[in-house]
Amino acid sequence: MTAAVEISDVTKRFGDVVAVDNIDLTIADGEFFAMLGPSGCGKTTTLRMIAGLDFPTEGSLKIFGDEVGTLPPNKRPVNTVFQNYALFPHMSVLDNVSFGLRMQKVDKATAAARAKESIELVQLGGYEKRRPNQLSGGQQQRVALARALVNEPKVLLLDEPLGALDLKLRQEMQGELKSLQRDLGVSFVFVTHDQEEALTMSDRIAVMNEGKLLQVGSPEEIYERPANRFVADFIGQTNLIEGTVADETTIVLTNGARVAAPSDHAAGTAVALSLRPERATLTPAGAVEAADGRTSVDGVIAGVTYLGNALVYDVALDWMTIEVREENRPAGDRPSPGDRVAVSWTTSDASVVV
Amino acid sequence: MTDTTLAARPPDELIIPKKSLWDRVRKTAPYAYVSPFFVIFSIFGAFPILYTFWIAMHDWNPIGEKEFTGLENFSNLITDPRFWNATKNTFSIWFISTIPQLILALLLATLLNRQLLKMKTGFRMIVLSPQVTSVLAVGIIFTQLYGRDYGLINTFVVEPITGDRIDYGVGTWSSHIAVSTMVMWRWTGYNSLIYLSAMQAIPRSLYECASIDGASPFRQFVHVTIPQLRSTIIFTVIVSTIGGMQIFAEPLVFSGIGGAQGGNRRQFQTLTMFLYEQGFERFKFGYASAIAWALFLLIVTFAMLNYLVTRRISQDAS
Ligand SMILES: Nc1ncnc2c1ncn2[C@@H]1O[C@H](COP(=O)(O)OP(=O)(O)OP(=O)(O)O)[C@@H](O)[C@H]1O
Ligand SMILES: [Mg+2]
Repeated sequence: MTAAVEISDVTKRFGDVVAVDNIDLTIADGEFFAMLGPSGCGKTTTLRMIAGLDFPTEGSLKIFGDEVGTLPPNKRPVNTVFQNYALFPHMSVLDNVSFGLRMQKVDKATAAARAKESIELVQLGGYEKRRPNQLSGGQQQRVALARALVNEPKVLLLDEPLGALDLKLRQEMQGELKSLQRDLGVSFVFVTHDQEEALTMSDRIAVMNEGKLLQVGSPEEIYERPANRFVADFIGQTNLIEGTVADETTIVLTNGARVAAPSDHAAGTAVALSLRPERATLTPAGAVEAADGRTSVDGVIAGVTYLGNALVYDVALDWMTIEVREENRPAGDRPSPGDRVAVSWTTSDASVVV
Repeated sequence: MTDTTLAARPPDELIIPKKSLWDRVRKTAPYAYVSPFFVIFSIFGAFPILYTFWIAMHDWNPIGEKEFTGLENFSNLITDPRFWNATKNTFSIWFISTIPQLILALLLATLLNRQLLKMKTGFRMIVLSPQVTSVLAVGIIFTQLYGRDYGLINTFVVEPITGDRIDYGVGTWSSHIAVSTMVMWRWTGYNSLIYLSAMQAIPRSLYECASIDGASPFRQFVHVTIPQLRSTIIFTVIVSTIGGMQIFAEPLVFSGIGGAQGGNRRQFQTLTMFLYEQGFERFKFGYASAIAWALFLLIVTFAMLNYLVTRRISQDAS
């Protein structure tokens, strides 16, 4: 099957600014694809190049196998939902949604009928005559969605579509977007800088920083096997325990302790062990012998944060403090500040990142 | 107003009302703040309007007899064909200058708004330069350009094409066109800068959205730019209406030694010229004041009409 979007060696410069730095990316047909990264990392720029609103400085961009080059936006099977909705304020909802069809010379009745369908699809039936300024933010968002969908794009680009909504509405729209995408079977390319949103909604995620593509993978791969420190830190919470590679199976931590951690980096490389707080377990110091496939370090409880369903312990190691997250347990059963503990984890649960 | 300020105060202040000097100052200060407008308006606005009406009810020679005649000046005016001629000329010149002017200004603004345009500031300054040129200079130069015997327009445009020379001052249409071009030359740039600033406030994403939907640049202009500029367009129409009703300097200079009569058949005499002729050339100040009042009512009516249209349109928009 041809990929919906295939980006090869694409670079985009604005004068001296390198907004997108030599990225390779393939987005499959029918995929919910998220682009995640901090502000200014080039997400919007990448999206605009797919849309045809900007053109790559270098590299090749194919949509369904066809090189798009400088093809104008309306000649691509792509449509965009802008972050600020970009609805025409002087047109009714119906006119906004049917605008694209009318520009393609679809006759008035057909255009209206298809626009109505699209409006129903986003559950805004009955609002056809309203103007955008008579709608709430969430409703405007739906109109923007309907306006993009009415043109039956094969790839829908969404630039932080939920950014302006409050948390409750945001979660509601996340669910709706996801099921809409599943029903329509078209690719959604979804830009966000909310890592939780990306994890819960996407089939695959691309993490970007400073114009570079750092990692592409399923939410699980990204979370469990981050490609580098930035990804490990950006997605979810993690402890980055500094060390140096000793051999294929061992790294030496800052205090000289040797822990099992398989990696394919050359001996002597400075690395960090990324350990998710919820993957570590606390046991009283010396209570367990190192079991097969488990690794442990010793520390002292420095603090406890009560989260209701969970507890987060700050554990002071000799040279740094790490977080360990455990399910809540009765007060008498918890380690308390000052207790000497062993922090242990299944060796394969921690990943070595550079 | 007092109610809301009282309600907004903490309750303890409500129970013990203090009538201090400060309170009194606070009560009267707002009137003092807004008074300059009313003082200046009564001296330079209201008083002249009313006094003009008083003059209009007299046969008023500034250095001779002042005889009360009631509304006679007004009844004379209504039956005076010269008055209707001037009204017709005023509207005609207003129409031929304003409509093309605003369309041209819109196109000019679109050009100035182009991303690719180099030396933007330079062009914007050039466009505004007719505004800062003296009307008299404009009038004299244009009058020479339109001249029958040595005018460049006749020599380089009209004669090569038609083989004949036009005496612009003689024909009704030709004189209206000549006067209108002066007005256009002076005001097109000004209006285009107003449009330009409004255009720059239109979000770029609207255009991007329209282009994604396949709208050509022309359709983007029709479906995005024009509707977004609607209130600005209405504003410029109103302003040029009020200005256009009072066109004076351009036709007067164009008239040359003919003075305020506006051509031998009054073919381009505007209302303000008629007023000037009656007042300052014939010294019939009573009659001139009646013309001033007619012009005043005309502008008020027009402004009201504009206001109603504006309100209708803005209600449609929201
Ligand atoms: N038209 C432009 N001219 C110059 N620089 C630009 C332009 N557009 C974007 N950039 C720069 O390119 C970089 C990437 O911008 P981009 O808009 O793609 O970021 P983003 O990832 O979408 O960020 P955000 O999350 O804040 O929307 C930024 O450094 C930005 O300043
Ligand atoms: Mg962005």
